[in-house]
Amino acid sequence: MLKLQNVNRRFGDKLAVKNVNLSIASGEMVGVIGQSGAGKSTLLRMINQLIATSDGAIEFDGTKVSSLKGAELRNWQRDCAMIFQQFNLVPRLDVLANVMLGRLNRRNTFSSLIKSFTEEEQLEALEALERLSIAQTALQRAGTLSGGQQQRVAIARALMQQPKMILADEPIASLDPRNAKVVMDSLKAINEDDGITVITNLHTLDTARNYCERIIGMAHGEVVFDGPPEALTTEVARRIYGAEGLKDAFSESMTSTSLEDDYKTPAQKRRGPYRDADEAHVTLN
Amino acid sequence: MGAASQSPTPKLSDATRAVHRHYQELAQTKKLYSFLTIGILSVILVAALWFANASNSGKFIDRLPYFFDFVLNFLPDDPLEIFRALFDLPSPYADGSLKYDYEEGRHYLFGDLYLPEYFYEMLVTLNIAFVSTLLGGGIAFVLCFFAASNLVGSKAVRFVVRRIMELLRAFPEIVIAGLLAAILSLGPIAAIAAVSIHTIGALGKLFFEVVENADMKPDEGLRAAGASWIERVRFAIVPQVLPNFTSYALLRAEINVRASTIIGAVGGGGIGEVFRLSLSRDHAAKTYAIILLLFVTIVAVDQLSGWLRRKMVGDQAFQFGA
Repeated sequence: MLKLQNVNRRFGDKLAVKNVNLSIASGEMVGVIGQSGAGKSTLLRMINQLIATSDGAIEFDGTKVSSLKGAELRNWQRDCAMIFQQFNLVPRLDVLANVMLGRLNRRNTFSSLIKSFTEEEQLEALEALERLSIAQTALQRAGTLSGGQQQRVAIARALMQQPKMILADEPIASLDPRNAKVVMDSLKAINEDDGITVITNLHTLDTARNYCERIIGMAHGEVVFDGPPEALTTEVARRIYGAEGLKDAFSESMTSTSLEDDYKTPAQKRRGPYRDADEAHVTLN
Repeated sequence: MGAASQSPTPKLSDATRAVHRHYQELAQTKKLYSFLTIGILSVILVAALWFANASNSGKFIDRLPYFFDFVLNFLPDDPLEIFRALFDLPSPYADGSLKYDYEEGRHYLFGDLYLPEYFYEMLVTLNIAFVSTLLGGGIAFVLCFFAASNLVGSKAVRFVVRRIMELLRAFPEIVIAGLLAAILSLGPIAAIAAVSIHTIGALGKLFFEVVENADMKPDEGLRAAGASWIERVRFAIVPQVLPNFTSYALLRAEINVRASTIIGAVGGGGIGEVFRLSLSRDHAAKTYAIILLLFVTIVAVDQLSGWLRRKMVGDQAFQFGA
């Protein structure tokens, strides 16, 4: 159970995240939506403690992670793996090495520095890559891969951390629709098969609706919506994105990253149709 | 509790097993090469040290206990003498000899106000350093764009410009200065020419490497808008590379202060020259005064250039991908 209590984050005199209270149960798949600048990334980065909170507390299973330091902090960061929009791999290292770097926190520093990984670790990394169907790229440099492949390497690295939770910051914003779907399906599968909590920032409403059982809407640093996709009406979307933003959103439907016209996503098969046609193609940046 | 931990013996497909075998072979080869490299380097190091010791007069260890004798015998009459020498004040030990004649080198500005000799000489040296950094940096700035493979398609142009830069930085400042002093006569002008020449070569290489690492997307944007080569360099490349150029130029300015000090010692004028003279004439107080002034100046220049760098460039300008 992840708990955020009265969490604030200031940058200078600007309040990027305002008084956020949330509790997220283990095994949930949560989508965070909102306009850019709404504080989504800041929220995710605070959970991982890439940036500190200004006020308030973040707790996980009774541990106050927002005040951890040193090795305990690094252990927490290992437990909540992070996936980035720009993948954040080491482009000059091969894919397998990149994946094994997910294990750094659990290893002896010296043997890591001389890049000596055990056979089990190599096999585990390959298994993670195979699970994401990119094992054949294992010996290439990560920088030579396509965006979709790189993001899957990043997910494999996250799996290698053996995390309790995966935080994904706009994981598909730089990907084409087909790769976006592969990446979202992988995250969903990890959430369902391994019971790992997944919290993902998304800029498209339809992706959030398709994949997440719970949606958190943010505007101007505050949580303005928290509920199941079914409760996310046009009225609510207007509150999250603002009237202007929503107007743009509807007019930009052709930029949707969703492929649902061609493919039935797993989420749709499971949950059945719940949307009306109007809301099917809302896309926001 | 990750996916990987659930099955202790992962079941991989045959294709992946082949990838793993290949990976292990590669890792084995890399390891072998690493050991070989380390081994060869150690052998070279040991051999080089042995050779250096053998070609030494062979008394390195014997002479080591006398290390501090020179410093101990080379002391001013009293510590205050150092400051009298530094500020050209009359010495109580004055006996008419050059050793205690501190007032002699005063540079009178107007009336009774004078600049002490060593401050003046330090200025001469700093002047050499800054003029040559500006001259050399300016020429390097123009040259570097012609050496960058992302801007100049012609291999011949790049080849020529790069070889010119290599030639200019191949010789240490002191060698160029010795050569030029024979032609241009001794003094700061020869020193400026020598340090400038080396600076063109050294900064030019650093500059064009910065240019080659520039993001070419703005260039593509301007090219698509019909901009000429020089316009693209001016607006797509220069704004990106300027922070790094500034940083390298300031670093070079620091290095050039030290270089022009050394050149002074071989006849380039400035603080280096008076240092060599006072050291060889056994003028302890003067020598310590110069060492003190040099130390303070170099620390001040380093601090100032570091401060300037942060001020002008800002830390975030060096974050890649920002």
